[in-house]
Amino acid sequence: MDFLIALVGKDFVLTAADSASARSIMRMKSDMDKMIPLSSHALMLLAGPVGDCSNFGDYIQANLKLQALTNGFEASTHATANYVRKNIADALRSRGAYQVNSLIAGVDEQDGPSLYYLDYLGTMVKVPYGAHGYGSFFTFATLDHHYREGMSLEEATDVLKKCFLEIKTRFLMNLDSFKVRVVDADGIREVEVAQP
Amino acid sequence: MSIMEYNGSAVVAMTGKECVAIAADRRLGAQAQTVSTDFQKVFQMGPKLFVGLPGLGTDAITVSQRLKFRLNMYTLREERDIEPKTMINLVSSFLYERRFGPYFVEPVVAGLDSKNQPYVASTDLIGCPMETSDFVVGGTSSEQLYGMCESLYKPDMAPDDLFETISQALMNAVDRDCLAGWGAIVHIIEKDKITTRELKARMD
Amino acid sequence: MAHRYDTRTTIFSPEGRLYQVEYAMEAISHAGTCLGILSSEGVVLAAEKISTAKLLDMSSSAEKIFKLDEHVACSVAGITADANILVNYLRLTAQRHYLTYQEPIPLERLITLVCDVKQAYTQYGGMRPFGTSLIFMGWDRHFGFQLYRSDPSGNFGGWKATCTGSNSQSAESILKSEYKEECTLEEALLLAVKVLNKTMDSTKLTAERLEFATMTKDENGRPTYSVLTPERVGQLLKQGEEIRKQEEEEEKRKKEEQARQARERKKELQAKTGPSSASSS
Repeated sequence: MDFLIALVGKDFVLTAADSASARSIMRMKSDMDKMIPLSSHALMLLAGPVGDCSNFGDYIQANLKLQALTNGFEASTHATANYVRKNIADALRSRGAYQVNSLIAGVDEQDGPSLYYLDYLGTMVKVPYGAHGYGSFFTFATLDHHYREGMSLEEATDVLKKCFLEIKTRFLMNLDSFKVRVVDADGIREVEVAQP
Repeated sequence: MSIMEYNGSAVVAMTGKECVAIAADRRLGAQAQTVSTDFQKVFQMGPKLFVGLPGLGTDAITVSQRLKFRLNMYTLREERDIEPKTMINLVSSFLYERRFGPYFVEPVVAGLDSKNQPYVASTDLIGCPMETSDFVVGGTSSEQLYGMCESLYKPDMAPDDLFETISQALMNAVDRDCLAGWGAIVHIIEKDKITTRELKARMD
Repeated sequence: MAHRYDTRTTIFSPEGRLYQVEYAMEAISHAGTCLGILSSEGVVLAAEKISTAKLLDMSSSAEKIFKLDEHVACSVAGITADANILVNYLRLTAQRHYLTYQEPIPLERLITLVCDVKQAYTQYGGMRPFGTSLIFMGWDRHFGFQLYRSDPSGNFGGWKATCTGSNSQSAESILKSEYKEECTLEEALLLAVKVLNKTMDSTKLTAERLEFATMTKDENGRPTYSVLTPERVGQLLKQGEEIRKQEEEEEKRKKEEQARQARERKKELQAKTGPSSASSS
């Protein structure tokens, strides 16, 4: 039931994830954070069983921190995404898969903003916008229609709001609280976006 | 639903006169949902050699990366480019290593050998190689592709003619497959140059 | 005294030395000279081949300089058999990194990893250290063109110009006095020729005895490794020879000039003292 969404703007990536934590048909809490920072300028959004997500997220985060320490610099978004992909793909053919779908958003000095879509099989593709979960069925059409290359933060936020509205209108479930974060040259920060 | 049809794909390679072509669609889906229209399925493995990897998306990435690993080690050790015939054997033995837990891809190899003779071949997902003198196909649209290639292919086509033929074969095949399409890419390999063209296709 | 402490690599001598490691370094100091020079346009590696037996059938083009990946290469001094093991390890390590990150390995990471292996062979029992010193040249997006040297102990460092092998001390002193920061690739190549000219035992340099390779960037900004053809090496040697002659002539002229000046001064002095002496007489 998790819902992740992200879109690339002019010099930033705007990301959002629902903040509901559910077990079966029961909502356990409404302020869950489904994002984990992988470096000062890279953010991973995770969807799937909570155990897999938190375990896998922490494992990747710790390893990338160690590498940054030994190398003396943080990995690029491209390298980070490929590292995550390899871990998922290797796990799929050994101990058993991590059932995590993810989006990796990052901003590099040299390469600018980028977004990678990954599923639990290890399928990875660089995209201008992406979404995971049931919410994706409702929002891809909205994104296809309204997304433009090189949007400002305001424009991107407007598109995001349209996606939230679509979910509120058409999705059977009640997804009403979202955490929204922006990754840009200054790092990762949370922004308030009025929920519909 | 078969795992080979999870993401959707179409790859075709064709020989011409001292030239060879390989083409693929661009779609990446998760069953019926289209995720990306910019997914790479054809990989350059040498100055005159390409490998297409239709099948499961994640395995297309994994196999392309692992083949590139082995290929780079080969080129560093041998200090020369690999022959297409050697490449198909590399692919074949690589896939057979995973005989009882295979990568779900059906590789297509296309290239010019050191004497600039065209070469196309493909293998199944466990590495059984098949060389042909005309064309090879792979992916969810393979039946449609066979039909198109059988009717359009002529031996010894010139590069321009080959481009037109392979493009028409691919475009018309994927239009009858809801899992593949959404744009296409065509590489024409000649002895002194490679021409890469992106095709506009139906985006529905 | 040494014999009691030099049979095992894992044991320190009472003076705190590791004899086996020192012997390994000694082995290298008899090997053909290898040198590397950093320039503003790229890096140069040059190596001297020791054996050029008439009957030797060379199967591979390179004997002392190896390409490790698109963006890094190394030259080896010491036991070639040991070096081959390390070169294979380096190539594998570079490819493994690429497989995981789809990005070329940063130079320092690659060198750290191979030096970890070298270090291990100085510490764990029953093993002999690698009798090989490596000079690396390469380019990465983090620090641009770089040059490193490693030794059998597992130590390594970054350099602007460095060398290893026989006569490396005299070569280093020439490099120290003649190296110019921000020199061009051509200048770096000629400096390499000059150093080899002065350090090699043979009276005359020949293209067959030398290997040259460069790491530069192509028009797309990608690093490119290239081995200089024997013709190009021959041409460089000729240029080097001309420069050497020019410098010698310059030197000669300077000396003559100095001698002339000295003579003139003497004359002047005589002229000055001449009249005075005449007046005094």
